[in-house]
Amino acid sequence: MRKYPAILLCFILSSFVIKESLFLVPQNFPKPVYDFSKNPLTDHTILLGRTLFYEPMLSRNNTISCESCHSPFSAFTHIDHALSHGINDSIGSRNSPALMNLAWQKSFMWDGAVNNLDMQALAPISHPTEMGSSINEVVEKLNASSIYRHLFYNAYNDSVITGEKTLKAISQFLLTLVSANSKYDKVMRNETSFTDKEANGYLLFQKNCSSCHTEPLFTSSNFENNGLPIDFVLKDIGRMKITANPTDSLKFKVPSLRNIEYSYPYMHDGRFKKLSEVLDHYSHGIRSTKTLAPQLKNAIALTPDEKVDIINFLLTLSDKEFILNSKYQYPKRIILRGEGFE
Amino acid sequence: MLLNGLCQQTTQVNIALVVDFNNNSIVLQDSVYPLQNGNIIKFETLKFYLSNVQLFQNDAPVFTEQNSFHLIDISDPITQNISIELTDKIDFNKIKFNLGVDSITNVSGAMGGDLDPTKGMYWAWQSGYINFKMEGSCSTCLPPNTDLEFHLGGYIYPFSSFQNIELNTNAKSNFKIILDISQFFKKVDLTRQNHIMSPCGDAVILSQHLSKCFRVK
Repeated sequence: MRKYPAILLCFILSSFVIKESLFLVPQNFPKPVYDFSKNPLTDHTILLGRTLFYEPMLSRNNTISCESCHSPFSAFTHIDHALSHGINDSIGSRNSPALMNLAWQKSFMWDGAVNNLDMQALAPISHPTEMGSSINEVVEKLNASSIYRHLFYNAYNDSVITGEKTLKAISQFLLTLVSANSKYDKVMRNETSFTDKEANGYLLFQKNCSSCHTEPLFTSSNFENNGLPIDFVLKDIGRMKITANPTDSLKFKVPSLRNIEYSYPYMHDGRFKKLSEVLDHYSHGIRSTKTLAPQLKNAIALTPDEKVDIINFLLTLSDKEFILNSKYQYPKRIILRGEGFE
Repeated sequence: MLLNGLCQQTTQVNIALVVDFNNNSIVLQDSVYPLQNGNIIKFETLKFYLSNVQLFQNDAPVFTEQNSFHLIDISDPITQNISIELTDKIDFNKIKFNLGVDSITNVSGAMGGDLDPTKGMYWAWQSGYINFKMEGSCSTCLPPNTDLEFHLGGYIYPFSSFQNIELNTNAKSNFKIILDISQFFKKVDLTRQNHIMSPCGDAVILSQHLSKCFRVK
């Protein structure tokens, strides 16, 4: 009888070790915001989530997947497009954000409309110019697919597909998108060092940018008005659309600057194609309105050389291993087999 | 333990949820319901969350339902009954419950069962449950918005539409909770407001009205 508690203990410990290895908090990162206890990671569920991420069945006419606007090679955004594209060549109203370190995000979307990573996918699935479907339609299609019933069975020991399981599986994959191995991170871990230009750029960054783009995630997660003149076609008032509070007018979520080299164009409407344009905005393009971030009341004075140094520093936030990670790529073994190619 | 379990009697109390219109049952799609000003309305959808069911005896709690979320849907009779198991000899003279989904649940990610987002009671564009959903048509509503659409929800101050409801009862066992929708429409000015699709001040006010339209029978 006495050996049972020992076996149970081993089981608990081994499951703990497996769980740990699926998601490691980088040493210079804070505690994640996401409550993993409500959605414990497993290999099978992450793989299911990854398959769903690349699944065009999530859109009404089976043409658009999450990956359409969030490709791994661009740090999971859609480069060369200011605004996101959806079904039937429709154009959305905002620039798709890069996806990484989502376990540390308190809210999602440029205006914080979504309060939990699990619920994020509902928005693009339902949006008429993105995927134009609904979670009900998606769950119905998945339930009719023998491949997915098999994948859900592997993940949940139950082949009945629900909205909850679908969303939580997508979350599991997204949670694994951790980017923490850029040159910046290696410098922080004393594994390498900055060049002179990068080091000077880092000092300038800390002085001028880091109150909003806070290390190590390079975002404060707050909503700020960074002085962009309003686009008169889009008329996007940002956070105020959610809170109806005039003090939130023209405020958008501060984006992380990690992998910014890969994730152009920039800003909520993708108006800037190059980092130099972004820095020019902060040095002489700020439009002062009532809700402007206090840190930007005075323009950030930077010489051309200083701008070059800041860009040099920003390029140290590129994490090549992140964008090339084979665990994040198209799960062709599953999807192609499902299509009869194997 | 086992003996105790065998000896302990439990009583099942069924609480029937009846949604009516001035004592007339509500039939979706076809039936018409007159309002005072000559307006005639029809219903296509009528569903809402009833949560946190608690029974009290003289203001002392005697029963609290665990994981208490019920999506009451007029189109599905199975949802219109709440069965609770009471240990023997519990008397009660009051029921408390909430209309809607609490704020903690609203921020806790994907849920299953009656809270599964496929139930059509979760906003996609902005996180949060729709506490009460009523869709239909009204004869005097002007184009382009001739539909009746009340999606009442919101969990963040100042637009929290979550409601506490307390009803006295002298029932010893099964009883009915009646929601009279005709009472709700006495407080709605359809010439001004026939569409609410997001958390807002009107959603809060109408949710408060709605919470006063429940009674026990």
